[in-house]
Amino acid sequence: MLPLIRSEFRKLSTVRSPWLLLAAGPVLVVAGVTGLVQSGGNVHDPATAGKALAHVALAALFTLIFGIFAVAGEYRHGTVTDTFLSTPARGRVVTAKLAVYASAGAVAGLACGAVALVVTAAWWSAKGGSFSFSAAGSWRILAGGVAVNAAFAAIGVGVGALLRNLALAIAAALAWIALVEGIAGQLVGAGLARWLPFSASQALGRANLTGTARLLPQWGGGLVLAGYAIAFAAAAMVTTLRRDVT
Amino acid sequence: MAEVEVRDLTKTFGRLTAVRGMSFTAPAGKVTGFLGPNGSGKTTTLRIVLGLVREDAGAALIGGVPYGRLLRPRQTVGAMLEATGFHPGRRARDHLRVIADAAGIPGRRVDEVLAQVDLTSAARRRVREFSLGMRQRLGLATALLGDPRVLLLDEPANGLDPAGIAWLRGLLRSQADEGRTVIVASHVLSEVAQTVDHVVIVSAGQVRFAGPLDEIGSTNNALESAFLKLTAAAG
Repeated sequence: MLPLIRSEFRKLSTVRSPWLLLAAGPVLVVAGVTGLVQSGGNVHDPATAGKALAHVALAALFTLIFGIFAVAGEYRHGTVTDTFLSTPARGRVVTAKLAVYASAGAVAGLACGAVALVVTAAWWSAKGGSFSFSAAGSWRILAGGVAVNAAFAAIGVGVGALLRNLALAIAAALAWIALVEGIAGQLVGAGLARWLPFSASQALGRANLTGTARLLPQWGGGLVLAGYAIAFAAAAMVTTLRRDVT
Repeated sequence: MAEVEVRDLTKTFGRLTAVRGMSFTAPAGKVTGFLGPNGSGKTTTLRIVLGLVREDAGAALIGGVPYGRLLRPRQTVGAMLEATGFHPGRRARDHLRVIADAAGIPGRRVDEVLAQVDLTSAARRRVREFSLGMRQRLGLATALLGDPRVLLLDEPANGLDPAGIAWLRGLLRSQADEGRTVIVASHVLSEVAQTVDHVVIVSAGQVRFAGPLDEIGSTNNALESAFLKLTAAAG
């Protein structure tokens, strides 16, 4: 497994595009926190600081797409043939990709977290407030945000492996988050809607976007999101093992 | 040494039977030409041998073992397929290092094969800057990376200039003379006639001829006539 993990890391470190994608996360965080403050966020209310830090979980959108590239990107560039020639035991390839991409996703989450802290503290002092790390419940929010990033990277690997077509996988993931989950939520009702993946991620990252949605508790969101990651990974494993590479 | 054996191989994609009861052996120490028109099941057969496609019936064995059970696949079989791609943003050397990592091949082999295919000066360039001939040579380098006992090459001369083609012919010859099993799939019959010892001609998913090139005759015309006759009859 170690040689495979080394190979997967080298695949990531020898091209530029995945890093450009992940770099969008911190940019989103800066924009989000700035927007929050500029649109009248109350810097004297600790809950506002919490909302600022919660952008780490929202930046996981990019980590999700990053994960999709793991397998679907290989199909796109035709490198999947070489990958399976080197390692005919395809399950091990999927496992290595899950480990490497989830780790990279976590690191991306940490980077976003650091940026979020710095930008939030900076805006708070600029607006005359004082940012209190503990009053804002920062540990829980940042830890949740990092976990969302890691989970979304893993889910992305699974989605990419299942659909194999890069453009389709990215479009499907974005459509789900932007639109389809919302509609599905309305169909199943608010009680069940909070078990859907994006809602679960909002619970885990303490990123209640609208402020009105019913969400699972943070630990519940974590378990549910982990469940989705495992389910997608298992489905990806099964299909990848059986499918012809033509 | 390892011979490649295909036994009663059958594969259907939906309603299309690509390979039906195909059987042949490519012996060690020889260059075997694997010839057939488009749609003959050639590529599918190669992909089954390499474990990329799962057969419906029959067996494809390398030294008596299916690809998926080889202990060190890249060190046993070196493959160069037409559909193999490269990430355009990756440097040639890194492409090989990725494979060397996964296959447990020592790093010095990367520089050795780059020198063998004359890509050392281009090693640090990204593949998007490569010409067709350079991509072909990188594909060849990939096949040679594990110093394998079996070489399986699909249209390897594609995009090579005359010097490159002559060099490739010499390479395949010397690999076979060292006792390795070399299989070359190609449409370019004139080139094949100069290179191979053994010929397998397929069409419509079945073997039409398998035997030494001498049995057909090694002049250009002999191979071409035999090929057209054998593959036309099957439809």
